Amino acid sequence: MTKKEKVKQIIKKRPLRTPAEIISPVREIKLDSFQENAINYLENGDNVLVAAPTGTGKTLIAERIIEKVLAVGKGIVYTSPIKALSNQKYRDFSVLFGKDKVGLITGDVSLNERALLLVMTTEIFRNWCFANPEMMDNISHVIFDELHFLDDRERGTAWEESIIFAPVHIKILGLSATVPNIKELASWISEVRQQPVEVIIEKSRAVPLELNWITPEGDVLNESEAEDFITQFSEKRKGRTESSFTSGSGFSAKGK
Amino acid sequence: MALLSNSPSCSQIIDSIQEHLPALYFTFSRGKTELLAEELSIEWDFLLPHEKKQVNSIISQAELLQPGLFGSRRQRLKEIITQGIAYHHAGLPPALKDLVERLYENRLIFVLFCTETFAVGVNFPAAATIFDSCRKWDGREFRGLINREFFQMAGRAGRRGFDPVGMVYLRIDKRFPEQTGFYNESLVEPVRGRLTISPNTVLSLLYWKTDNEINRLLDQNLAVYQNNKEGRRIRLELIEIKEALSGIGSVFCDQLDTAYCYMFRSNLKKEFRSLSRKNQRLRIGTKERKEEIRNLLKRPQKKCHHRPCSEAKRKINELTEKKLRLERRIRTLGNHSRDYERDFNGVWDLLENLSYVDGRELSARGIFALHLHVQEILVTEMVFNGLIRDGQPALVAAILAGVDFVPGRDDYVVPCPHDLREVETLCRSLIRSGMPETMCVWSSLPGALASAWYQGCTFEELQAMTNFQEGDIFSVIRREIDLLRQIERAAGKDIELVSQIEHIRLKLDRDEIAVPGI
Repeated sequence: MTKKEKVKQIIKKRPLRTPAEIISPVREIKLDSFQENAINYLENGDNVLVAAPTGTGKTLIAERIIEKVLAVGKGIVYTSPIKALSNQKYRDFSVLFGKDKVGLITGDVSLNERALLLVMTTEIFRNWCFANPEMMDNISHVIFDELHFLDDRERGTAWEESIIFAPVHIKILGLSATVPNIKELASWISEVRQQPVEVIIEKSRAVPLELNWITPEGDVLNESEAEDFITQFSEKRKGRTESSFTSGSGFSAKGK
Repeated sequence: MALLSNSPSCSQIIDSIQEHLPALYFTFSRGKTELLAEELSIEWDFLLPHEKKQVNSIISQAELLQPGLFGSRRQRLKEIITQGIAYHHAGLPPALKDLVERLYENRLIFVLFCTETFAVGVNFPAAATIFDSCRKWDGREFRGLINREFFQMAGRAGRRGFDPVGMVYLRIDKRFPEQTGFYNESLVEPVRGRLTISPNTVLSLLYWKTDNEINRLLDQNLAVYQNNKEGRRIRLELIEIKEALSGIGSVFCDQLDTAYCYMFRSNLKKEFRSLSRKNQRLRIGTKERKEEIRNLLKRPQKKCHHRPCSEAKRKINELTEKKLRLERRIRTLGNHSRDYERDFNGVWDLLENLSYVDGRELSARGIFALHLHVQEILVTEMVFNGLIRDGQPALVAAILAGVDFVPGRDDYVVPCPHDLREVETLCRSLIRSGMPETMCVWSSLPGALASAWYQGCTFEELQAMTNFQEGDIFSVIRREIDLLRQIERAAGKDIELVSQIEHIRLKLDRDEIAVPGI
């Protein structure tokens, strides 16, 4: 490192923090009650929809049911909305369940197609539902991750056709972000597949959120302060642009 | 480089929230993630010496696996990563995205500037999420984020078992304070059915499904289900309104709407006053009507408590208005459920006109298109008129790269070395024969890239041919590989075609374009 670089580094700002705060992501052993419930329903052979905020542990439900299905020698399909995510899941599951147990089928990649656990894009699963349902005789479950993609203008169709035409012996586990009409989705699936669908709703976040707003001066405000600030700021700005047409960019200098 | 004259600047924001790092800083433009990362790196350095060493060793390992990982274009990223700052968007080459994700998971990145895709799927939690703005281009228009989108992203804040709360920060932009977003998790939008009927759907239904199953898709899809449900609710409401209306009527006496009734008289008085206005006075018939009203009002008014009657009248008007609104809504819903049948029949007719089907029987073209999932008619036509089968492989690679490609305004690629006019002619003639333009989407623009990559050029050479970012070049070729695999499946026992296509695919699926890590 040259002297000049050293100087440059020293004058850079550093955040207030302690040097070592490594937290390794702990895999929770104990299940929350909503996870417990979902797994129980699935073990009873029900279809299940889970609506829960991100980070509450929907993935854990998926992993547990995969474990159970693999243990009895049945097949299971995991579908994800984006290719990059499918690749990622394939890698994760390979570590968890062993590379020989996992296959990956997206439009442009196809690995270990005969594995019991198949990671697919939803489009591929949809195609199988039309073209080769007989290839899915041994498959007992399909997991739809990010089920709320049903509402996607371009791609929702793949989810709908999958749900409507998945062979009847395949049970569905749908994982969704928080949506207000998850029960409606369940009763639709129940009607179109002529099977009961259980619903699990987890409202509270594992970690609650706190929304804040940051002003042009860098001050942190809460919601009502932010609303007041914006009203006042907009009025002030309107006033100023009317009275000082000629001052151009003088506004930012005066603002301080 | 030019600094963003943003206020508050990202450096200011980090200053205010520095107790809540690591942070994901969301913006809705790739360019902006890069500019902001650059800007922050001028003032900030988050890593301690031993962490810098860690970063450097992770980088050298990755470079060992993929030499030239950062290329010429991402040297700055390599520098700022050692300060604990990075950016992540779809334009990055996948191997670099992986590297950034790995560093983030190892807690070596303190501020990550990223786009929406970072919040889909894999959970990368942070202490805080920051929104540079809450408006995005959704392919059609600039619009504010809806609650569902916002909380999908914001919810990345708060690491389980570590942060008591997840901090979310929304920037109030000095220039557009009125565009500041306000969100409420209890107002997250419901999921609506979005089924659309594509040629592939119709072919698949006709070939593989029974009439009953076809009807199930058309009559029981989510949109129809939701419409029916709403329809049932409205019908119940209409019955209630009807009952309420007939109940209210009993208040009136039999002199309602006669000159003895208070309400009728006050209406007459109102009319009289309006007829006396200047603009009415000279109209034909005004004089006579005024005389008539005067005579009617000469009659005595019934002595009664008119208040209940006025109340009832007001209520009736209100309910009638609501009834009309609901009846209109019922009609729209009815039209919608017929839409699916109409769409299905429309596409079926089109397929019949193009000789893909005859009734429920699929022709050779129809069977071929059954295996295609993007621009299925256009690609089938390319194959059946010989463009794909007889073309030189490099030319075929160029043609197929353009399928379903919509060039952006500023996209640039060197001109294609092949003559692609035949494809343009094909598209034009299909559109003339009644194909909707959305089923004929093709562009010559990416052709040169696919052709050069087929012929074995390096990724650096590809980059020199275009202003596409690495990730975009990657996805153009990966999408073509996807399409080639579909065509191989469609070709089935046509060994010549299969080997032509497979040959091209294997030439394309190599080096930087191969999917990393699997």
